[in-house]
Amino acid sequence: MAAPETSTAAVPTLYTNNTLRNAFGGVLSFFILLLIGVMAFSIRLFSVIKYESVIHEFDPYFNYRVTQFLAKNGIYEFWNWFDDRTWYPLGRVIGGTVYPGLTLTAGTIWWLLNSLNIPLSVETVCVFTAPIFSAFASWATFLLTKEVKGTGAGLTAAALLAMVPSYISRSVAGSYDNEAVAIFALIFTFYLYIKTLNTGSLFYATLNSIAYFYMVCSWGGYTFIINLIPMHVLLCIVTGRFSSRLYIAYAPLVVLGTLLAALVPVVGFNAVMTSEHFASFLVFIILHVVAFVYYIKGILSPKMFKVAVTLVVSVGLAVCCAVIAVLIALVASSPTKGWSGRSLSLLDPTYASKYIPIIASVSEHQPPTWPSYFMDINVLAFLVPAGIIACFSPLSDSSSFVVLYIATSVYFSGVMVRLMLVFAPAACITSGIALSQSFDVFTRSIKFQLPGISSSMEVDAVETSSATAEAQNDAVKTEKSEETSKNRPSKKSKKKEKEKEEKPSTKAKAEKRLLALPLDSSVIFLLLLILLGAFYVVHCVWAAAEAYSAPSIVLTSRSHDGLHVFDDFREAYGWLRHNTDVDDKVASWWDYGYQTTAMANRTVIVDNNTWNNTHIATVGTAMSSPEKAAWEIFHSLDVKYVLVVFGGLVGYPSDDINKFLWMVRIGGGVFPHIKEPDYLRDGQYRIDSQATPTMLNCLMYKLSYYRFVETDGKGFDRVRQTEIGKKYFKLTHFEEVFTTHHWMVRIYKLKPPKNRIRGKTKKSKSKTSSASSRGKRSGTGKKNPWQ
Amino acid sequence: MAISPTPTYLFLLSLFTLSLFLSIPTAESESELVADLLALQSESKSGVIHLDDRTIAKFLTSPQTPRPYSIFIFFDATQLHDKSELHLPELRREFALVASSFITNHNHSNTKLFFADIEFRESQSSFQLFGVNSLPHIRLVGPNAKSLKDDSDQMDQSDFSRLSESMAEFVESRTKLTVGPIHRPPILSKTQMGLIVALLLISAPFVAKKIFSGETFLHDPNIWLSGAIFVYFFSVSGAMHNIIRKMPMFLLDRNDPSKLIFFYQGSGMQLGAEGFAVGFLYTVVGLLLAIVTHILVHVKNAKAKRAVMISAICVSFWAVQKVILLDNWKTGYRIHGFWPSSWN
Repeated sequence: MAAPETSTAAVPTLYTNNTLRNAFGGVLSFFILLLIGVMAFSIRLFSVIKYESVIHEFDPYFNYRVTQFLAKNGIYEFWNWFDDRTWYPLGRVIGGTVYPGLTLTAGTIWWLLNSLNIPLSVETVCVFTAPIFSAFASWATFLLTKEVKGTGAGLTAAALLAMVPSYISRSVAGSYDNEAVAIFALIFTFYLYIKTLNTGSLFYATLNSIAYFYMVCSWGGYTFIINLIPMHVLLCIVTGRFSSRLYIAYAPLVVLGTLLAALVPVVGFNAVMTSEHFASFLVFIILHVVAFVYYIKGILSPKMFKVAVTLVVSVGLAVCCAVIAVLIALVASSPTKGWSGRSLSLLDPTYASKYIPIIASVSEHQPPTWPSYFMDINVLAFLVPAGIIACFSPLSDSSSFVVLYIATSVYFSGVMVRLMLVFAPAACITSGIALSQSFDVFTRSIKFQLPGISSSMEVDAVETSSATAEAQNDAVKTEKSEETSKNRPSKKSKKKEKEKEEKPSTKAKAEKRLLALPLDSSVIFLLLLILLGAFYVVHCVWAAAEAYSAPSIVLTSRSHDGLHVFDDFREAYGWLRHNTDVDDKVASWWDYGYQTTAMANRTVIVDNNTWNNTHIATVGTAMSSPEKAAWEIFHSLDVKYVLVVFGGLVGYPSDDINKFLWMVRIGGGVFPHIKEPDYLRDGQYRIDSQATPTMLNCLMYKLSYYRFVETDGKGFDRVRQTEIGKKYFKLTHFEEVFTTHHWMVRIYKLKPPKNRIRGKTKKSKSKTSSASSRGKRSGTGKKNPWQ
Repeated sequence: MAISPTPTYLFLLSLFTLSLFLSIPTAESESELVADLLALQSESKSGVIHLDDRTIAKFLTSPQTPRPYSIFIFFDATQLHDKSELHLPELRREFALVASSFITNHNHSNTKLFFADIEFRESQSSFQLFGVNSLPHIRLVGPNAKSLKDDSDQMDQSDFSRLSESMAEFVESRTKLTVGPIHRPPILSKTQMGLIVALLLISAPFVAKKIFSGETFLHDPNIWLSGAIFVYFFSVSGAMHNIIRKMPMFLLDRNDPSKLIFFYQGSGMQLGAEGFAVGFLYTVVGLLLAIVTHILVHVKNAKAKRAVMISAICVSFWAVQKVILLDNWKTGYRIHGFWPSSWN
């Protein structure tokens, strides 16, 4: 992408005619933007090319299922949807517990396409939603950066964002998750805020609230916006940058935005009741006080104003103290001080590791190390400081927002690796600014010196000899273009500010011609920067192709005899779909809950929405109990089938045996008769002959390794790299009904309860025999006259 | 008097007298033991009883099981207090906190559970008795524990991270007693709080005046600039990781103790010095670029310009190359381009 960057920086100096040049620049940047969009879309297609067009991983399957429901039943049904296919027997109210933004977006796209007679399936739309929205996100980045530092920086930032690996990791084709649309919404909300701040127009302020509403619909990360913008407003006030534009940018957002946010069922009254939102209200009050002070200041004479200030300050302080006291009392009265655990762990990073092991245990909540930054934003990490400094020269309302954005998000990303996603756009914006400014400086110094006496490197000589009309024109032109971009923000600002900005600019005019750097080192620097950009491109393509495109539902491995494809998951879910009764309940560890409901369309006990710890603990207890006890637990839950994931044959490391200790821990947390040390030999987790008897007799071990010895005669587990401890055993309460091709998924059926009365044994047997179950079922239900 | 029960016990045990005879003397001495423990408890400030070899024999080894109390023991060693990675003083403080909270929550009248600590130098034989050979170590001796080594419950090492809360949970799960809320001493005492509030109130008008007149250091963009850069450096270097995980700045080489390890191979972990070094490399390139594009252009001397630029180029090139090499070494990733197949 280095090529268009250089061309955009050079384009403005090619033509002498101002309007023609602007028109040409406009058309060119339009096409560059188009190409950036195409690139953002196509770099995310590696997952489709290397694998196939499928939904990825776990959570996207839930979103996909919800979208299917929406497409089939319409919005009102969706809003009231009570899902009885999961968390059996509790069920889950879907409409009130999901962020509906993503689903509604994809549903709308699908509806639109279908009404245009483009018959795409819901799945296709879902797969490609994320790439489409990343193209939108890069355009939004262009708009935002253009508002801050002009078109060149905007284009560079958009190009960088289109392929930043951190964002790619969450938005490859098929990764149909909230973040896919939320990042676009985040950037777009920021753009509209800056736009309002620069223009002071109520129109943009309203749009801003609507964009904020969309963000609230899409992702829980909206709290970042509603804290960052108040912080910026406060910063502006404290540094004496209050203006009526600031008021227009902020006040409608708080009022309208909060009202709109409360419309989203999953947020509801949280929008006014939780501490995450209090900062915005506090700043809202402060803003009004300050606006009032400025108003009074305008009316009164300076002397009167001083008197008034002392009066107001003393009264206002008393009122403020009272309000703050009430707020503190309110906050302190709630047990978690009104903050959710995750937000608290952001403010106090050591909080989670001390008090919430469940949050601390999730891998994406870990604090990142330095290689994660290099992996996720790559060379941008080098450019960001230059961008921050560029934002300070000169400091405007909008550039101070960018600085605040990057400072807060980089801190948050340091606490939680997941928030790297919020940091990535900021990094793209700042390094876009840095890159375009340095390109500007270097190309200018090259251009000033090329047409003159090429051998002479004296700056003074350059100044005098190459002071041709063209060069002078240039200086004025670049100056003008900068001024127009600068002018807009300060158009309606106070006179004082205008003077401030104009002073250095008139100075700069004179100095502009002096601002050239030595030719040779400029050329080297430019080449190195282009090299850096090229490295970034190579890295991003590599990351997109190799690191972030695996769908984890289809696995591949490359060995010397070619490519192996493991499609066992879909095989198993397909089997469940076609060979079990519609209302049968399937038990598995919660990781596979969403996939089972979406792909097999069977009822599950627990799923990835881990809202009920006791229920998960019940399943964990069953998996860690001996067969009979487990059978009783499952039977009490109405479970017909048990599904386990087993990687020992092919060496798939994230299987249930490796997750088993978590089942024991979570189970033991609620049912104390499950004790973790019983499963460990001297603190070591092992499944070979040294394993404890409790381990060798628990259900998970038996279901995973049943008949495993028949595969190679030894029972060698390729994940644990050891022979298993107990090789020959029979199942008493479960029977194997299906094992996939590579043994990755194994499905067992609960044996029917033993009955002592002879006649009834027969009946129950025939009832559950799978082949004739349907016919018999109707027979027993209605009384078959032919029998 | 304190020693008198022991010989009677041994005598009776050796005779294998049945519990009928035993019950009468135990009932007496049990209550005596509890009274002794309560007395010891009230002597100590935090309620943690200091045990040694003699008292352990008296309270734990000699009384017949079931004893009427459990003892929650913290194994301490004064000579290891300066080893920061063991966190002994910190854990000892937390332990005392649990003890005092337990005692106040039960109005000094609970006789089911006592908190005790043992010091290594004083009572080495007791350490052997418990089979303790590494610290930190916390152990609960229940009423039914016959052998101190095998029947008592050891608290899991991994639970120490959550400090007093996890200790309380451990006790609650094993003894069926409730510990109740833990009374931490407030970070600031009440007088300190009052002083701070008063200071804030007094200074508020002055601060407000300064803000209105626009003269504070907050109005100096350079402060904000260096603040932002510092936050960036701090986060990018993974300092948060080091704080949360309590990573040391460097490790000692196991094979050669005179050498220090500054860089850790493997992407999940990093050492303190390593993080700061790379964070510095990350930051310095951007700073140099900014210096060249924003400050150097205003310099008039052409030679100085060229010298600074060339050194900036060299340093930046070196820094970027260093980070790329380090990253490849640390993570083991091999980044490669996707060139047309005809080029090969």
